[in-house]
Amino acid sequence: MKDNDEFLKKMEDLQVPEINPTGHPKMVKMAILNAERSAALGVWLIVVPCYFLLCVFMYYFFHVRLSIFVSMFNLMSSLDKTPYIGFLSPLLLVGLPIVSVIINMLSIMNVQYRRLDPNMPGAKEINISIRLRFWNILLILVSLAIVCIFVCYAIAENITVR
Amino acid sequence: MKLNWFIRKGIIYLPASVVGWVILVLAAAYAVYTFIDIDSRSHSVSDTMINFVFNLLLIGMIYTIIAYFTDANRKVDPNSFKEFD
Repeated sequence: MKDNDEFLKKMEDLQVPEINPTGHPKMVKMAILNAERSAALGVWLIVVPCYFLLCVFMYYFFHVRLSIFVSMFNLMSSLDKTPYIGFLSPLLLVGLPIVSVIINMLSIMNVQYRRLDPNMPGAKEINISIRLRFWNILLILVSLAIVCIFVCYAIAENITVR
Repeated sequence: MKLNWFIRKGIIYLPASVVGWVILVLAAAYAVYTFIDIDSRSHSVSDTMINFVFNLLLIGMIYTIIAYFTDANRKVDPNSFKEFD
């Protein structure tokens, strides 16, 4: 009986935590893909275009006239000329960097779409937050640079002035 | 169905099961075959190397794509859960 009274007294003396209901609610923001795995795959997806660009820059910009760079250009042109695998070089040089951009964006981005007021149909908001992860952001920028270089090259190569 | 064939160490995927080892051995065997094939047709060492490195990168990329989808630890990054005030 005495223990019971002591227990009741302890319970009555317990400090109740104060809750501020006007404070901002905390949100859990979850990325779609794992950031480290996306970075690991992203490196492999851009390694071939980077290797090709290295050959191009060494040969044309730094004038290092080695036969290994000429062999690389011959290899890429032979890929274009070979039947049935003509799609391979655009896929390697543009498609895979785009995939790298997408998977790395999905691993650091969080998009939330919600209605602000259920009574007002027009009251909607979209929140986009980006986590600052160095390797993912670096891979996105490098991949975008690769895509831009090849797209600009394709435009400049195929444009005709009349 | 969860396939636990590989485990990631940095940017390299290592086999974690028999199937993973089989895929790695097949990739290595294909790389060796490619090297011998290229070497028999090429006219110089640089010609062999540039073609082989290109093929090796392609093999590594395809191996990594397979490993990415069969990774034993493919789960959402715990650091991706973050509370914002």
